[in-house]
Amino acid sequence: MNQHAEKRDLFPGALEMMVLRTLLRQPLHGYALARHIKRVSDDLLKIEEGSLYPALQRLLKSGLVKADWGISSTNRRIRVYSLTAAGKKHLKVQVSSFERMLEGIQRVLSPEES
Amino acid sequence: MNWLKQFFSRKQLYADLEEEVASHLEERVEELLAEGLSKEAAVARARREFGNVTATKQRARAAWGWRWIEDLFVDLRFGLRMLKKNSVLTVAAVLTLALGIGANTAIFTLLYGLVLRSLPVSAPTQLARVGLASLADPDDSTGSVSPMTYHMLEAYRGEQTSFRELSSWDSADVLVADKQGVTQSYLSGMVSGNAFELLGLQPYRGRLIAPYDDVKGGPAEGWPVVLSYGFWKDYYGGADNIVGQKMFASDVPVTIVGVAPPDFHGVWAGIQPKMYFPMQFEPVMAKRPDWMDEKGEDLFVVSVIGRLKPGVSLVQANAEVTQLQGGLLERFIPARLKHDPFIEKAYLKVASARTGLPGWLTNLYKKPLFLMQGLVGIVLLLCCVNVGGLMMSRVAARRQEFALRTAIGASPARLVFQYLTESFVIAILGSALGAVGAWYGSQMLLHFFRNPMMFEPIAVYPDRTIFGVTLAFAVLTTLLSGTLPAWRASRADPGNLLKSRTGTGGRRHIAGRMFVPIQVALSLVLVAAASLLSYSLVKLRTERAGFDLDHITIQTSPLHLLKLKGNAKLDLYQRMVDRLAQMPGIDSAAATSQTPMTGVKITADFQAVSDGPSPPEDTQMAYNDVGPGYFRTMKTRILEGREFERNERDLNVCILNESAAEFFFPKQQALGRYVRSKPNNDFSEDFACRVVGLAEDAKFSDVRQGPPRTLYLPLSTRRIDKELGNLVFLMNSPTKAQAVGAFRATLAEMEPTIPLVIFVTLREQMDAALGSQELITLLANFFGIVALLLSALGLYGLLAASVTQRRGEIGVRMALGATPGKVLRMIVGEALALLALGMILGAAGVFFAGRLVTAMLYNVSAHDPATLVGVVGALTTVALLAALVPALRAARLNPVETLRSE
Repeated sequence: MNQHAEKRDLFPGALEMMVLRTLLRQPLHGYALARHIKRVSDDLLKIEEGSLYPALQRLLKSGLVKADWGISSTNRRIRVYSLTAAGKKHLKVQVSSFERMLEGIQRVLSPEES
Repeated sequence: MNWLKQFFSRKQLYADLEEEVASHLEERVEELLAEGLSKEAAVARARREFGNVTATKQRARAAWGWRWIEDLFVDLRFGLRMLKKNSVLTVAAVLTLALGIGANTAIFTLLYGLVLRSLPVSAPTQLARVGLASLADPDDSTGSVSPMTYHMLEAYRGEQTSFRELSSWDSADVLVADKQGVTQSYLSGMVSGNAFELLGLQPYRGRLIAPYDDVKGGPAEGWPVVLSYGFWKDYYGGADNIVGQKMFASDVPVTIVGVAPPDFHGVWAGIQPKMYFPMQFEPVMAKRPDWMDEKGEDLFVVSVIGRLKPGVSLVQANAEVTQLQGGLLERFIPARLKHDPFIEKAYLKVASARTGLPGWLTNLYKKPLFLMQGLVGIVLLLCCVNVGGLMMSRVAARRQEFALRTAIGASPARLVFQYLTESFVIAILGSALGAVGAWYGSQMLLHFFRNPMMFEPIAVYPDRTIFGVTLAFAVLTTLLSGTLPAWRASRADPGNLLKSRTGTGGRRHIAGRMFVPIQVALSLVLVAAASLLSYSLVKLRTERAGFDLDHITIQTSPLHLLKLKGNAKLDLYQRMVDRLAQMPGIDSAAATSQTPMTGVKITADFQAVSDGPSPPEDTQMAYNDVGPGYFRTMKTRILEGREFERNERDLNVCILNESAAEFFFPKQQALGRYVRSKPNNDFSEDFACRVVGLAEDAKFSDVRQGPPRTLYLPLSTRRIDKELGNLVFLMNSPTKAQAVGAFRATLAEMEPTIPLVIFVTLREQMDAALGSQELITLLANFFGIVALLLSALGLYGLLAASVTQRRGEIGVRMALGATPGKVLRMIVGEALALLALGMILGAAGVFFAGRLVTAMLYNVSAHDPATLVGVVGALTTVALLAALVPALRAARLNPVETLRSE
């Protein structure tokens, strides 16, 4: 219902894939996750930090991640997200299909082949 | 499951999200503060980086996909508030729908209980009944299956491969002393040992009838009986120590071994057996020990229910039985029956037994019930149209609101959904009220399905299906009455409407106007049906039946228990009749084989004895064996000759009714002529009889049919033993109580061991026969009146609104010279145009409904011109009355005032 409102700078599912990939390395809470993606992508992707939360809710709903309340090193109550087994499997499938797609796009875009 | 869990814990999920987002922002602010920003700058930057906080949270919540449910709750609350705000209209709508839904639920409860309900057993669709059918049976195509003989079943069981198992069922009256010690007759089931097992029933207490119970002579520990749950509750007060108790069933000691499950009411539609016995108990109880023997004189017939093997269809089972039937019919149909018209065209048939065995009740009430369902279906439509009209006027009143909501961004779909929710709230309230009414209503309606020969009323019970159907009615009415208004609401144009509050000019009611002709059309159909049915009932009630309906009481004592034969038996009946006639209050008494209006018509093949080349013969002539005094007691007039005398006990004399005499001996003197049975026909004896009397025509088996040609024979020694069985006593007395008293006294004096059976009057017998006719007529009339009122209200409402809306226009017309009379004619003309349109629609409806009603009409055509003209007249009168009030108001408008207020 709110599709129009969502920023679609990325292709659908890209944010979710990045979240899953990040969580594969280690469980993180929302803020840390946002900072991490921002840092790693060198701020190139221009993601609103907030848009992370609808993505996280979608992942929670489909059971790809789980969330537990805990206490951070700075003594703050935080909600830590981690991958589930289903999440790991989903990520593998997604990444490989993404790589195939990327390869396809690259072939079309490379000038010398035409 | 999981989804549901998540849904109900959604408050927690939302709270988590809330906290998480807040914490995210705080953490960022702290970090920025550490970088040296001011407090305000830090907060602003954190927010900017995060994006729109509220929208994000909304989107995050939407990820769970509960939006629509949450919307629904909002809509429900809003709907209820709107309905409360407009309570008069709401009450009108709810009551209208309660009427429509209640009527439908009530009739459906009966239809379902008597015709449609599956047996409460495991896999009822695998059940099939097997039995004799005949091409000579007028009901053959409707799945009618007659019982077969016990020994035919045994042979069939061995030869067939379609069924996993076959069981047999029979019903019989069992005599048991009630708590006061008075012998009562209770309808009971006689079942083969495998019957309960085949159905997959579990006992409520103890055990059910088992194969080892169903052996000749009974099991070693004595005959068992299983009580129905209802009988255990009523008769034994639900006693816990019931298993093992002894009782007497028709004077035979039996032991109670168990109680049947509460939801099992037997396999016969609408009839509840009180007890269940092994099949082999039936001959014992009836004191006919050789009844079940293959060589016995009487046939032992049973209804057969089998369970098909998995994967075997009814078609396959039928194909197999067709293969086998030749041998079975040849071996097991006695030679003396082979020329019976039914048997001549007989075959074996397999039909579904999902709903059990259709009893005579099913056959009797199936047509009327479907017709009633059709009638109340029209009523429901009418109610929907009416509520739709009401809703439409509300949409008009709330245009401002809808326009405003559209203006601030509500989507049309959202508005439709919200409006339908409001309609649904009304429909749910209506159905709840209707369902309560239906429960009491259906019990009341059952009284019309009464039968004086039965001790127990017919039983129907509401269950989940009925509940589901009521809910379906609610959804249906929501869609029917709410869709059009909802669509209109969603199309409210914000630009136009926010500007003007009064909204003058233009005919915006086109869709609203369509409701009136539809109402008129539906009313026309209902009122026409009601009139035709009433006319039929009046004819049925007032026509002379050919006998005295009001003073005759019938009693069928089981005198066969005395085992008298021939003349001794006839003597006993004669002595009792003589004694009865001497009793105070009894004008006259007689014995007979058949009584009128039981629905049982026996016919045979008779012909005139004459010198002509081809003497007239009738293969379907009704006949009855009647004792001396029959005509005097029945008050059927003897036109010529005399009735039978006490010493006439042979088939050498007979009496014809007028139609029979005219048929056999057209335009001739019938008295003194001879009539005989055709050789080799289905009549038990060959005879030729001299006509000694001529009686007036009288109705016979069916009230709805005119008097058939009838031959009366004396009670004869030749027929009394085998063919006639138990005779029926007829007593003519001013009141039923006098007849009851006289009979009790006579029996106590002459045969004190014989139990009394229920007393029935001919009037009661006729009422029973007309019960469904009466009920349907009553319902049709009630709903016809409701329909007239609803259409009158609809027309009135529409015209009143239209006059209010067109005040300005009417004012201008009058200012320009239109007289009040002309204005009056204009408004009435508008009403007549709507009425005419409705009548045209209705005429088509009457045409189709007519075919439906024909089955229930008596001596009236479904398109009886006089009736239809009357109906149109009545409808026009009501419509004119409804139109007159707004028309007069329009005519009395003061042009100056209306123009000033514009």
